[in-house]
Amino acid sequence: MATYAEMQQIFDDIRGDFRYDHELNGCLNCGICTATCPSAQFYDYSPREIVQLLWTENVEQIYDAMQEKIWACAQCMTCAARCPFKNSPGGLVAIMREVAIKHEMQSAKDVLRPFGRVMLKLITTGNQLSPDMIQPDHFPDWGPNIQKVEGDLRVLRKAIPVKTLQTVETAWEVSLKTSVEMYTIWEMTGVLKSLELMDENLFDVIEDFIDEKREDYEDWLEEQEEEDDD
Amino acid sequence: MSEHTPGNHNQSAQGAGAGTMKPGFHNTDGQGIAGHGSFFQATDLSREDAVKATDWVRKHVDRRTIDLGDRMDDVREHMYELEKDGQIIIHRIGDQHEPVGVKTLFGWDKQIPTKQLWHHKSCGQCGNIPGYPTSLLWFMNKFGFVPGKDYLDETDQTSCTAWNYHGSGIGNVESLAAVFLRNFHQAYVAGKQHGHELGHFFPLVHCGTSFGNYKEIRKYLVESAELREKVTKILGKLGRLVDGKLVIPEEIIHYSEWVHVMRDRIASELQTIDVSNIRTTAHVACHYYKMVHEDAIYDPDVLGGNRTAIITSTAKALGAQVIDYSTWYDCCGFGFRHIISEREFTRSFTMDRKIKVVREEANADVLLANDTGCVTTMDKNQWIGKAHEQDFQVPIMAEVQFAALACGADPFKIVQLQWHASPCEDLVEKMGISWSEAKKNFQAYLKEVEAGNIEYLYNPELAYGGKA
Repeated sequence: MATYAEMQQIFDDIRGDFRYDHELNGCLNCGICTATCPSAQFYDYSPREIVQLLWTENVEQIYDAMQEKIWACAQCMTCAARCPFKNSPGGLVAIMREVAIKHEMQSAKDVLRPFGRVMLKLITTGNQLSPDMIQPDHFPDWGPNIQKVEGDLRVLRKAIPVKTLQTVETAWEVSLKTSVEMYTIWEMTGVLKSLELMDENLFDVIEDFIDEKREDYEDWLEEQEEEDDD
Repeated sequence: MSEHTPGNHNQSAQGAGAGTMKPGFHNTDGQGIAGHGSFFQATDLSREDAVKATDWVRKHVDRRTIDLGDRMDDVREHMYELEKDGQIIIHRIGDQHEPVGVKTLFGWDKQIPTKQLWHHKSCGQCGNIPGYPTSLLWFMNKFGFVPGKDYLDETDQTSCTAWNYHGSGIGNVESLAAVFLRNFHQAYVAGKQHGHELGHFFPLVHCGTSFGNYKEIRKYLVESAELREKVTKILGKLGRLVDGKLVIPEEIIHYSEWVHVMRDRIASELQTIDVSNIRTTAHVACHYYKMVHEDAIYDPDVLGGNRTAIITSTAKALGAQVIDYSTWYDCCGFGFRHIISEREFTRSFTMDRKIKVVREEANADVLLANDTGCVTTMDKNQWIGKAHEQDFQVPIMAEVQFAALACGADPFKIVQLQWHASPCEDLVEKMGISWSEAKKNFQAYLKEVEAGNIEYLYNPELAYGGKA
């Protein structure tokens, strides 16, 4: 359990985000956000409550809501489209999630563990999912016939008449140079640092992968230079 | 905070206690806040005041209707000021892009370029529902577009990374902005290696979440000098500034907007199949029209201007029946993280609020969508409904796939329906296309593919910077 000072710091970090004043303009407690919220139908979650907690600066209950409730939000932004005050409860939740990660909250680590393979795919390849992730053994609840023609995945992908899509381990073919640029963005914006705070093992795997790709890129550049010299 | 601050209406309510809360919020035992759970107390407004308050909410809430009088800040005007001030370069839409004008939510003008497009691909579409991009490129070819001149699809593009951000919270505005500017800089310069001027290709964003995210990020970039300064350093390191400046596109364009403005040409020039017997329903992606909602296309002639025109406009143009249903406005249940790790929510919501409703209320032949997560969610989660005695099934696909079918595209080679789980064969048969014949032909084609005889929509070398 965090001290009051820690909870206050968490709240200060939330309202310190430059988007905060965009996303929170007041609250009439009308509840339209909650009435239209998909997550409110299935979870103990109410966008109105999130807005009220922030609006009233209730640091203890903000901290409580960050344990579980903020992770229920589906980020559809229906609440934002409907709010008469032009609040964005979903946008506020996004800020709160970032702050939960920054403060290494255990609840965030627990919630995000099953999401690790998406992050691994994204950070290393620049794609968020790939055909080989969408196989029956990963999604048994999708049923035995999740596609209508059986066959080798590589052949089925080759039958897509667009060259960039004939891939299995990425959604489309991303050039090595593009991936390396992406790594620079991750580093310079603190994303890799966030990942390290959340899952050190995953971070180590990704760091090794990035090092390897960068070496491949350096080798490729040298080859290009040699070819140019010739 | 004054006593008149909205949200503070319980200040003088009977039973309000001091507790540990800030003044003005009743809290009888140190738990809860005003307006929550058992602590809720009526406002005690007179009937007249209650009606007045409710009317105020109704007036401000009903923003689905085109409201010419309630104009909000237009980010594009600030962009033009920044450009005039020498701070940014705007990637403009010119006559060469053959734009078509449309109206957005508040009646603002938006130009939709129809030619010289740089395909900004979608992770979910390419990875899971490739019939989206293939149908789109097929249409462009059908209109006589020249690959490498009138459109470009290449490997120098990353994901927008927003699925991950909305799912996990890992990432931040700075990283999202840097990715946005990197990809759109590439779109701006991509024409050079094909012998064109800077800005020749204009980005066409395939994914709904990329579309919403990029528009949100563009707003922040235009409003925040600090953010621009931070990302300028990153883009500089990547070599992706032009004359030391950030390149920001004049408009963010979604593929379904291209389909929308091309719908009459699609119907009049390319349609070969009568679809007047097909009952269509629409599910528009939340991130298309609920994020930066002022930029979504509305048309008084489509659904009375009460809902975004996208998808429905295309179904109408093709002559299909447009059937309404009560949960039109609802999300699909995708949830970003939920579809991976909280699937009971995703499948329950999509069955309860989408599939069951379009089946029972609308008796739909197809539910048309315009985004990745929506099609995946609604298409893949029908089978599990049987376990809960909810055996409802509806074919799910993008409007561009349906349009391609109506124009004679091969259901497998082009529309790529083999990747769908929902009963698309029922729709195809009802359209008068033989599913079994098409499937047999495709299975024969797979043998050709194995032998290396692959058909392409454009010369593969183009993807790597080569000539068409």
